[in-house]
Amino acid sequence: MTSAGDGTTGRYLVLLEDDWSQATRELSRVAGIRAVDSAEAGLADPLWEADGLVLRELGVALVSADADQVTALTTAAGEPGPISLVEPERYVRALTASAPQATTEVDESTFTWGLQAVGAPNSTATGAGIRVAVLDTGLDLAHPEFSGRTIESKSFVQGQEVQDGHGHGTHCVGTSCGPREPGDGPGYGVAYEADIVAGKVLSNEGSGADGGILSGISWAMNSGCQVISMSLGAAAQPGQAYSRTFERVAARALEQGTLIVAAAGNESERPGVIAPVGHPANCPSILAVAAVDAAGRVAPFSCGTVDDIGAVDLAGPGVDVYSSWPMPLRHKRISGTSMATPHVAGVAALISQATGATGHELWARLARTARRLPLLSTDIGAGLVQAP
Amino acid sequence: MARVIVSVAADRIADLPTVVDALRRAGLTVAEVLDGAGVVTGEASGEVIAALAKVPGVADVETERDVRLPPPDSPVQ
Repeated sequence: MTSAGDGTTGRYLVLLEDDWSQATRELSRVAGIRAVDSAEAGLADPLWEADGLVLRELGVALVSADADQVTALTTAAGEPGPISLVEPERYVRALTASAPQATTEVDESTFTWGLQAVGAPNSTATGAGIRVAVLDTGLDLAHPEFSGRTIESKSFVQGQEVQDGHGHGTHCVGTSCGPREPGDGPGYGVAYEADIVAGKVLSNEGSGADGGILSGISWAMNSGCQVISMSLGAAAQPGQAYSRTFERVAARALEQGTLIVAAAGNESERPGVIAPVGHPANCPSILAVAAVDAAGRVAPFSCGTVDDIGAVDLAGPGVDVYSSWPMPLRHKRISGTSMATPHVAGVAALISQATGATGHELWARLARTARRLPLLSTDIGAGLVQAP
Repeated sequence: MARVIVSVAADRIADLPTVVDALRRAGLTVAEVLDGAGVVTGEASGEVIAALAKVPGVADVETERDVRLPPPDSPVQ
């Protein structure tokens, strides 16, 4: 049997339409292929004396075909009839774990390592039409790299304007919704055409409380946000119950099509100490985000799954993250699950735009498409989120 | 007085004003009514907090927690 030298076997898989009772006849008519039907062939039959085998249970035929026959089959796949798709058969081998990447050197001349790690530059989705709320310390509304963007903002901090006097909020908005071509340094925003909904629930001193956060969530839900990003929280103790209030609110938000993602927390000191996911990310209906670095390792500070409840759900880039910072500094590199969270929120916006998914379905798509890493699920959940 | 967050049962959110009135009568100093989230925030003393939990339509009463970010110059946020 010839091998193409590219991992394919020289044989072809022919996908059959649901109504493929005429498959063996059609293979013969179209390409002169003499195939046997698995339902008729006995187990002892030398299957490869025929040119092909129709696997009736799967609706697939495995055939040997020369170039002319492949052309004929491919043509037939484009026309009405039982042949739906033709693709080369591939060799498979036992999987072995690949050695972890030792280097963290990533070329950030065009895009940050975080954007590259979540596959954002390769996605055609932009976040356009999706509303992403970032509940944080506000936003530098005069930052030149957000000029021309659709921005809605509101302060829930008494006596303080939305204008970000801390920097944390501007950094998080930058990662989730900032530019791809800022004109000065690498692109750093995941959902770079999403509507920015900036709620100030943390003061310029970085402090806030449940009431302000819930006010921000309520505002974002009412204003039709598909995604709420919350890089905030309070440390929890092992065994501590999650807030039933936040859980009830988050469950209601999911039902209404609003996904809340929140930072797992930075209280771990790995490898020795793994702290539990903090409040409110430990609520089952809030998507808890861990941080990984450019080498695919969990960040030393990243909180982990410690109890039966309060699981880490997904991971995002959260070490040495370059994003916007209030002027005149313009940009800054910092680390934390706070930086991983807006990566996940941005990817959620891209998936929502690409698929129309919101709420529970959006969560499921994020988890299903996350890149699995050779790390503990208790540390990174389903893995590193990936743009559609 | 403690700051509290009161969540309202899903089937009573449509009738939020009635629940809020009952919370006021039970002694809650209402700060905000968050209709989107189905939450009422405010202040109450210890004895009042116990009474709030018994108000029809109330799902849970919790005392408010504080959150705090590290200072802006911290490398880990």
